[in-house]
Amino acid sequence: MTSDTPDNVGLDTAARADVDTAAMDRPAMAVPGEQGTPSDRVEPTPGTVGSLSPSPDESGHGVLTTNGMDVYYGDFRAVADVTMNFDFNRISALIGPSGCGKSTVLRSLNRMNDLIPTAKVTGEVLYHGSNIYQPGVDPVEIRRRIGMVFQKPNPFPKSIFDNIAWGARINGFKGSKSDMGDLVEDALKHAALWDEVKDKLKDSGLSLSGGQQQRLCIARAIATQPDVILMDEPCSALDPIATLRIEELMMTLKSEYSIIIVTHNMQQAARVSDKTAFFNVALDTKGQRTGYLVEFSPTDELFTSPREQATEDYITGRFG
Amino acid sequence: MTGTLREREKQQYFPSEAEYDRLLDKRSRRGLLVQGSLLLALTIAVLALVTLLSTIINDSFGLVAQVNQVEPEEIVASHGYDPAAVGLGDLGKDELVETLQGGISNNVGRRLEREQRFYEDRLVFESQAKWDEICAEGDAPAGCSSGERNQANVLLLVEERIVAPDIIATDTLVGSLLNPEDFEQSVEESFVANPARYGDYTFDQVRFQWRAWFSWQFITSPASASPELAGISTAILGSLWLVGITVLFAVPIGVAAAIYLEEFAKPSRINDLIQTNINNLAGVPSIIYGMLGLAVFVRLLEPITSGSVFGDYAPNGRTVLAAGLTLGVLTLPVVIISSQEAIRAVPNSLRQAGMGLGATKWQTVRSHVLPIAIPGILTGTILSIGRAIGETAPLILVGAAGFITTSPKGPFSQFTALPIQIFQWTALPQEEYRNLAAAASLALLVLLLILNAGAVILRNRYSRRLQ
Repeated sequence: MTSDTPDNVGLDTAARADVDTAAMDRPAMAVPGEQGTPSDRVEPTPGTVGSLSPSPDESGHGVLTTNGMDVYYGDFRAVADVTMNFDFNRISALIGPSGCGKSTVLRSLNRMNDLIPTAKVTGEVLYHGSNIYQPGVDPVEIRRRIGMVFQKPNPFPKSIFDNIAWGARINGFKGSKSDMGDLVEDALKHAALWDEVKDKLKDSGLSLSGGQQQRLCIARAIATQPDVILMDEPCSALDPIATLRIEELMMTLKSEYSIIIVTHNMQQAARVSDKTAFFNVALDTKGQRTGYLVEFSPTDELFTSPREQATEDYITGRFG
Repeated sequence: MTGTLREREKQQYFPSEAEYDRLLDKRSRRGLLVQGSLLLALTIAVLALVTLLSTIINDSFGLVAQVNQVEPEEIVASHGYDPAAVGLGDLGKDELVETLQGGISNNVGRRLEREQRFYEDRLVFESQAKWDEICAEGDAPAGCSSGERNQANVLLLVEERIVAPDIIATDTLVGSLLNPEDFEQSVEESFVANPARYGDYTFDQVRFQWRAWFSWQFITSPASASPELAGISTAILGSLWLVGITVLFAVPIGVAAAIYLEEFAKPSRINDLIQTNINNLAGVPSIIYGMLGLAVFVRLLEPITSGSVFGDYAPNGRTVLAAGLTLGVLTLPVVIISSQEAIRAVPNSLRQAGMGLGATKWQTVRSHVLPIAIPGILTGTILSIGRAIGETAPLILVGAAGFITTSPKGPFSQFTALPIQIFQWTALPQEEYRNLAAAASLALLVLLLILNAGAVILRNRYSRRLQ
């Protein structure tokens, strides 16, 4: 595969980026105790990261780590050998040209790709240190912990209230009716939608505008108490004002959630994300297009001094 | 952007102005031609429907030539009234019972009384001692427990037993409206040409009157050997039972199978095979299903379909249950396919949204896919009702009764159905049966319309709820 060289470089960058963020941005962050133990397989350069980590929780393992992940659709390898580390309570952006597999990577992080019968993931995806593709892991539980917001707002054709309550209900929410009301209110407040809809919770979710619908979907995802939210081009169907509101929302949400966003919009990645991964696509000898990770760096670094020529070409608009 | 065609070359490949105009004319003409053919197709379809309906209606109403054994006027006169002023229906119950007593044999009278008494306080045909004896028996006739006949009921008996009308010729609606004289003339000619055919009747006794073959009396009366009195209540009830059993059997199973195939089945050779088979089964001729029903439901499962395992039993497996199950199997592929299509039409984004929140597949299907698919599933139900109510061939095979006068009382009853009744009437030579068959066809269409309207209302209610 042609992806060998860039991948190695990408790993180095990722590792270095971890050092930076761990050192500068996380002096005393409260991280949930369920975080996994460090593993040598995960970090190709354990020495640097480990020595800079103040505690085991800050060992450099992010909330999600992929390790040599390949994604196949049938025999076709869509994404090759992705190794990256997503930080706690940060926004990570995945950018790249069409067909580079960034959405595929995102969907592999909470096993949404399982819904495609031919999809297959090899390698590891570690969530708090344990592999979500390990036999015996129920994808249903993974998806509850790692929520997802889709490209097109897709509220259920139900009331605004039920849109949010449903996720909690099916996940075994035991609270009373008023507890459920509090949960819904809380989720809507988190999604900065409460003030707009508090008087019409019984209205259909479809009666809202596109931007409101997307925030409803975010509220819906929050209500099941995840700690990671995956967003697959959440603003591509929205106008600039609605996009801005979602971006502001993401900035406030990152104090409580780790967010991974796929975007086509480089400015958006530059505006909201802490770290950015650039994916590119390589043609093999049979003409198959396989995506690979080029580099994963702190956002300001990636956009000002990219390590790879391909990244620079892409962000300066020379291709893609 | 590689610019293989230079500007001048591009110009060459396009037609000149004049040529373009000519081509445009040609294109427009072709469009109009296609539009015209489409309209023609629609016209043919509408014409076919109109012809069908008008044929049925044409035979369902019209003039009849009728002879009465006893003229109603005679009866009225015999009670001392003026026939010009008083009709048969104006007579009191006592007078009608009296007429009946004078006109029918004691045997027939006793039978009628056992069906239902004429008076609460006295017996007309039966002796009190015998009556008490009969009613003390285990299977006492209905007359022992039911109330007395009213005037209208006795009037019907008088009309049926005493007046005993006999229709000797019928005319169509169009003929009756446009030239009734022709009809009268043809009946008269027939009397002249073939007097033996009419026995003791003379042309003077013939009454020409309007008759609605499709009438309330027709719908509510059971089958009868005389076409003047024949009705279709048994057949309507039989058809309703059939539709009920068919829907109860085919819809739950069909929808469940469709959900499995669409939502849970992984793509595999076996599932492909099943899918192909279902699609093919939808096109299998219904007579084949009839043979299946005969072999499986009537013969093999006779203990169940005859109800003998449940205690309540029919003499054999030729029951409404066996026929309903046969029609259920027949409509199953249609239900499955239309439900599958309805489920497939639910946007995938809703499934992803549900699954993305940590719902299981079934939770997602139950809460988000099925509510949206229900209108489409009901469309499949409508189709299956339409098929179940119109099928004749399989019913003949599984043994719908040719002539029964008792309505089906449960799943283990013998039955007949509207299409069977129509089929049998059309096979009979007398003219009246053609009119009866037309009226029954009209009833079948109306029944189908009512059932479908019900399903459509249900469907619309569900569709509205989603908005």
